[in-house]
Amino acid sequence: MSRNVLLQLALPLVETHGFTRQVLARSVLSLPTHEEPLSETAVSALFGNGSDARRTLINAWLDDARRQMKSAPSPALKDVLAFRLRFNEPVLSHLPEAFALLASPSTAFPPLDPMPALKHAAKVADEACYISGDTTVGNAWYARRASLAAIYAAAELHQLTSPHTAYTFLDGLLDTSSKVESSLGEADLFASYIGRSWAGIIKSRGIF
Amino acid sequence: MLKPQCVSRCRAIQPRLRRGLTWLNCQPGPSIAYLQTYKPDDPAVASTPDLSAKQKKILDSALRVDQAGELAANYIYMGQMAVLGRDPLTGPLIQEMWDQEKKHLAVMNKLQVQHRARPTIVWDVARIAGFGLGAVTALMSREAAMACTEAVETVIGEHYDDQLREMEDLPTSHPSVPLLRNVVREFRDDELEHLDIAVENYAQRAPAHALLSTVVGAGCKIAIELCKRV
Repeated sequence: MSRNVLLQLALPLVETHGFTRQVLARSVLSLPTHEEPLSETAVSALFGNGSDARRTLINAWLDDARRQMKSAPSPALKDVLAFRLRFNEPVLSHLPEAFALLASPSTAFPPLDPMPALKHAAKVADEACYISGDTTVGNAWYARRASLAAIYAAAELHQLTSPHTAYTFLDGLLDTSSKVESSLGEADLFASYIGRSWAGIIKSRGIF
Repeated sequence: MLKPQCVSRCRAIQPRLRRGLTWLNCQPGPSIAYLQTYKPDDPAVASTPDLSAKQKKILDSALRVDQAGELAANYIYMGQMAVLGRDPLTGPLIQEMWDQEKKHLAVMNKLQVQHRARPTIVWDVARIAGFGLGAVTALMSREAAMACTEAVETVIGEHYDDQLREMEDLPTSHPSVPLLRNVVREFRDDELEHLDIAVENYAQRAPAHALLSTVVGAGCKIAIELCKRV
């Protein structure tokens, strides 16, 4: 039996049992051939020792949630990100603990590991960009993903404490960011006009 | 190392180069699928194959370094044009090669989006260094500018050739992979044509030609290794 199949079978159980080793052990019960849950040793062998098994489960859940993003009702950024937030709702009570576990490293140093959280936000932002048909290249590619990752991470943190207002919060952030983007673009355009007119003045003066 | 048939092909087209450059853009290559005949629904230009993590990494770094290379090439020609643009002989020659690099960059940008590759983080460095290299060599002399083109295109041609070999591991079942290979092959031939144009235009008469091409070539190789990684 493939490990990935078991992980897929475990995902629906997260809603009731949380991100626990128990969920992984009980995943086999969904198969007609098994009547006993997996032993602790089997869970450790398949998914990792101790809380590493839980990390495997959390990452599998995050990957699955990200894959589901493409079935959002419309490819607009707003809808895609809101759809991803909605996917959190059934397991919302288990998420703070899950993120805390991801942030606490298995070794003693560093005491707090922000990389998994940053990667999670970045991957969601990248997926949202892909689904919305984003065609930016170069620096704009990074700027777009960084701003979307920050927005999504803020909205998700907001959702943990106040699930109902998360969607309006997300919309507000997206609106603000597009306003900032357009004003930066206008400032850039204006600066290029000023620069060009100065270049013209200097040229016509015959300095060079 | 370049494949012998490729080099002999480039030798064969040299007489045509002397007659003029206008034929350069006449024959549409496979990259036309990304430009004039671009169909957003065609899986060959709109989807990326399912790859293993290792293959995905190869494809990612290949597209990243190619895009950065084409970007830098654009800025090299821009720098040369800024200095030599008004020269009645050299201006149109550089413009012609620049137009082709613009086409290459447009295709690479589309490929980056299609295969979800990350662009290089040293995007601005590639722009500034390219412009600086083009402008500085053009300020030295017309021949030095051509020697710079010769050195750059030699390294890029070899790089594309190596890349074609790396891409042999990618599965051909997905329509985008053969297209990608053909595009890289087309670009390699374009770059080698630029190399020949530069040699035809007395690149090797540049002062300290050997030193100049060694320095520029080494710089390009370092830039390629850097862009593969970041």
